[in-house]
Amino acid sequence: MTETAFLQPAEQDLADRFVNEGFVTTPADDRAGLDRIQRRAAELAADYLRLPHSNDPHGFLDSIHTRVKPEDLNGLRMHVITGLNAEPWLRPAYFRLARSAIETIVGNELCMQRRINLSIQLPADDSSLLATHSDVWSGDSPFEVVVWVPLVDVFRTKSMYLLPPSVNGEMQDRMASLRSAEELYRTIKPHLVWMDIPYGHVMVFNQTLMHGNRVNEEAGTRWSMNCRFKSVMSPYADKRFGEFFEPISLRPATRIGMQYKLPGGFNG
Amino acid sequence: MAERAGHRGYIGARPLNGSRTPQHVQNIVIRDYARRKNLHYLLSAAEHTMPGSYMILEDILDELPGLKGIICYSIFMLPPDESRRRAIYDRVLRQGCDLHAAVEEIAIASQADIQAVEDILLVNKYATIL
Repeated sequence: MTETAFLQPAEQDLADRFVNEGFVTTPADDRAGLDRIQRRAAELAADYLRLPHSNDPHGFLDSIHTRVKPEDLNGLRMHVITGLNAEPWLRPAYFRLARSAIETIVGNELCMQRRINLSIQLPADDSSLLATHSDVWSGDSPFEVVVWVPLVDVFRTKSMYLLPPSVNGEMQDRMASLRSAEELYRTIKPHLVWMDIPYGHVMVFNQTLMHGNRVNEEAGTRWSMNCRFKSVMSPYADKRFGEFFEPISLRPATRIGMQYKLPGGFNG
Repeated sequence: MAERAGHRGYIGARPLNGSRTPQHVQNIVIRDYARRKNLHYLLSAAEHTMPGSYMILEDILDELPGLKGIICYSIFMLPPDESRRRAIYDRVLRQGCDLHAAVEEIAIASQADIQAVEDILLVNKYATIL
């Protein structure tokens, strides 16, 4: 095991789980930061719906389907995510939720997606579905990971599904013979893993694997956030540096290296 | 019959005519077009980056019974094969929908509109740009 000797056993275990299962879930590194995000999301939702702020943000978010209709959902979602992204503390707080896992899986010199995303899925609503996809297929780099954070307890269809690495390649090889993403879903359905994640935990997953969601058939509303991270010097795809990603932890040696010029003026 | 939801945006991850437009800019163009044409814009779906894949477009076409139509970022996102394009136009019109292209500000709402779109695509195929 010479090649693993540079890493702590816990880091190696996390890395192995990520490679073999395609995801890791872990308690949030900063629980107070997660609670702050959840509370602010609930406040923004209450403001949009002209309701008083709740002392139980988890319960308020989980039962939002009793207060909003599917046709008003995108307006609510836009209000909440615009308000959250306007908070200067949001992105540092989001990073701190999973910092240890990100640094083990990706590295410690990172760039982060500029705008964090929010998904809200009301029970039985088919208007906010994400068909089977890999982020790489729509312009993300295979060097990215997604940090996925539920703001309520999520399980079964209230959550998202992921195709394990052990079958992803085989299924991808069949893709060109299929007509639509819905056909693709039916093909991979027997192999899917549904993510059961209690509030307070976060997930880092391999976005090159096929994933998506279906109609939420559970009793509560799903609220989840997602954001991409990658090593700042790893290759980019269509989601470019500057317009989609920005550096969050450039290290001094890199700053020095990027500015260094060899001595010039030689004539020999 | 349930009321149809609106117009689904359709953006892409592949370069068009050798140019690349960031996806969030494609969405801004579509959103602006929808606003000016008084269309109810529904969140865009992004086509695959793999050349020749139109799986996402097929999903949107399957969704047509619940939509009023589609707003593509550009007409040049449609498949290069003319017969495949014509099958798409037929599907859209048969469902009582229309097909818009935001950059070119052109729409197919009836059979009579198809030739103008095809003219653009055919000229683009043969004409060169300095």
